[in-house]
Amino acid sequence: MAKFLVRNLFSMFVTMFLVSLVLFFLLEVAGGDVTVRLLGVFATPEQRESLRRQLGLDAPAWQRYVDWLIGSDWRAQQLSPYPLTMAPNPQTGEQEWWTEVDGVLTRWRMVEGELLAIQRTPDGREVTSPASVPWTTDETGAEVFWGVDTRNNLVKWVRGSDLEVLVLSKAGVRSERGGPQQYIPLRKGIVRGDAGMSLQTNRPVSATIFSRAANSLILAAAAFVLVMPLALFFGVLAGVNEGKPLDRIISITGLGFTATPEFVVGVFLILIFGIWLRWLPATAVFLTGDAIFRDPKILVLPVLTLMAAEFGYVARITRASMVEVMQSPYIRTAFIKGLPRRRIIFRHALRNALMAPITVVMLQINWLIGGVIVVEVLFGIPGLGSYIYDAAIFGDFNAVAAAAMLTVLIAVMTRLIGDMLYTYLNPRIRFA
Amino acid sequence: MTTAATTPEMDKRPSLLRQVRDALDLVFSSRTAMVGLAIALFWLGVGLLSLFWTPYPPNAQMFSANQPPNAANWMGTDHLGRDIWSRIMAGTQVVLLKTRLSADPPIVIPGGVAIWGVIGAVVVGGLLGVNAGYRGGIADQIIMQILDAFIAFPVIVLYLVIVTSLGRGDLIVIAAITITGSPGVARLVRGLTLDIKTRDYIRAAETRGESKWYIMLREILPNARGPILVDAMLRVGYAIFAIGTLGFLGLGLPPPDPDWGSMVNDARKYIYANPLAVAWPALAIATLVIGVNLFADGLREEIMRYQR
Repeated sequence: MAKFLVRNLFSMFVTMFLVSLVLFFLLEVAGGDVTVRLLGVFATPEQRESLRRQLGLDAPAWQRYVDWLIGSDWRAQQLSPYPLTMAPNPQTGEQEWWTEVDGVLTRWRMVEGELLAIQRTPDGREVTSPASVPWTTDETGAEVFWGVDTRNNLVKWVRGSDLEVLVLSKAGVRSERGGPQQYIPLRKGIVRGDAGMSLQTNRPVSATIFSRAANSLILAAAAFVLVMPLALFFGVLAGVNEGKPLDRIISITGLGFTATPEFVVGVFLILIFGIWLRWLPATAVFLTGDAIFRDPKILVLPVLTLMAAEFGYVARITRASMVEVMQSPYIRTAFIKGLPRRRIIFRHALRNALMAPITVVMLQINWLIGGVIVVEVLFGIPGLGSYIYDAAIFGDFNAVAAAAMLTVLIAVMTRLIGDMLYTYLNPRIRFA
Repeated sequence: MTTAATTPEMDKRPSLLRQVRDALDLVFSSRTAMVGLAIALFWLGVGLLSLFWTPYPPNAQMFSANQPPNAANWMGTDHLGRDIWSRIMAGTQVVLLKTRLSADPPIVIPGGVAIWGVIGAVVVGGLLGVNAGYRGGIADQIIMQILDAFIAFPVIVLYLVIVTSLGRGDLIVIAAITITGSPGVARLVRGLTLDIKTRDYIRAAETRGESKWYIMLREILPNARGPILVDAMLRVGYAIFAIGTLGFLGLGLPPPDPDWGSMVNDARKYIYANPLAVAWPALAIATLVIGVNLFADGLREEIMRYQR
């Protein structure tokens, strides 16, 4: 068992590493477009180029991959004269990057060619004063200083530089002259739980993604818990009646539900229960974070939609498994012995027949995740699915990458558990 | 498998007519496959008809918006005052009948996005799978490990990532279906190859000194075509499913040609004003996918029955 676990864990790590490569380089193709999204279609090439630099997109692809994966603070620390550190923002509670200058949290800002130091006092206020920093001379003779700016970048400031920088602020694009020349967006990397800033919201991806994932989990878990007994029951019922009309009805209904796209089922449920009968809300409106618990009615239609998508699949596997077991020699022996049919089914067949579906279902988690995405978009549930969808529409590659990595991780872990459960339950595999 | 004595008749390959008749016999012997085929052929017929005739031009905004079904518009009109039945008819085209290579100038090739996507998946997946299975060793491990990484993605997430990076268009959707489909095909073909490669005729070809590619393309793949074809049929169903879902998510086939998924997506914003407008295209997608699935499923059951 231990050997099995180690081998599977290793394989999982290799898979996740390859997934990260695939994901990064698929998204890499998009690189330039996000500046158009952020700046609008009327932005000049200079503005876009400047923004690209501020997002650190001018670094080579492998460098950004390493930054994304394991963080850029290692390499930034080598450049910065002061130690880098993270501190929570007193208002939002989100982690921000600072440097520690003589024990005081400090960041810098360039205003009209003058470098200003922003110091965080112990009581959380910020004091701005003209900075006195140790400028160093680089190989071209220019005076440079690497420091943290207010947007979580390590910036290379050059004294007396006349390079124009176009900063995107809430009021639009602002021109700044003289100063910042190179940006390294500071992040701890996805393996250390920091997926960078969302380009769409300008907040850390990891600050939103987990609460979103919790909503999705509730949705998926509710559907899963409700559909499993139902699908297993009907699957067994179809399996013991193989070839009879009851089997046909269950099998065709199941196939129908599985083959119908989730959004079609959802749309019909909305039409019937939301619009004609007016029994249930047609969309899920989340006024508060715990809306699911305050008003469980909003979950009914989404859960029903997911159940329809899963039902056919589980029922089908259960049926196939049951049919196989019912044809096996030991069941025939039981019949020949003259045992009552009911007893054969419940005592002899059921246990073996249910082993396959319960574990195989876990291998099909990807199917469920896909359904969750569609259902969340359809009903407007703020979960992981709608998060990745919104990010994909915007072209917010940091958010897409993080959310995709999270879904893949969930899928891979679940499959690993499914594999292990199957091996544990099935001695034939365990000792093979 | 069984080894039969070679008689003169067996040297000749069965004629094409005979092959078609055998295949049809297989379909006719399964009621499920028949029903599925009937539904799929209905939509194919509707699509072919729509190439020459629709009640109204599918993109003409010639009626008042959001009409319920009436004598002039059998299924009503959509939010822009277009005839829904005409649009549904024309909606089969992008899925099954035509692919737009570029919008300006308009270049259209026959064969729908779903069809080309599945062909792409079968070609790419087939080549990868047969190479992995036949060559074995390190090549096998590398190919399968990379494909495992793709399989680890939930399909829709992979679609979202691809569409994020590549944008929208018929070719992008084809590429997305190819990328998401080929790992599955590769796994299947690899399994079949591992089985076929132990046969005597492969030994014979190797002894003759045939090249590896000859053996893979002329000896192994043709002998694996049955399961591959059934799998491909199932994949056409998935592809239509996926195109519908992408269209619904607003990431599907670009306008102006009507696309069922996008029609659902547009109509659901007006669901209170015109509830039926959302039902028709949803019904169309569901029936087509179910039809193709029933067909593939029935076919598979029949073939499995003979193999048992």
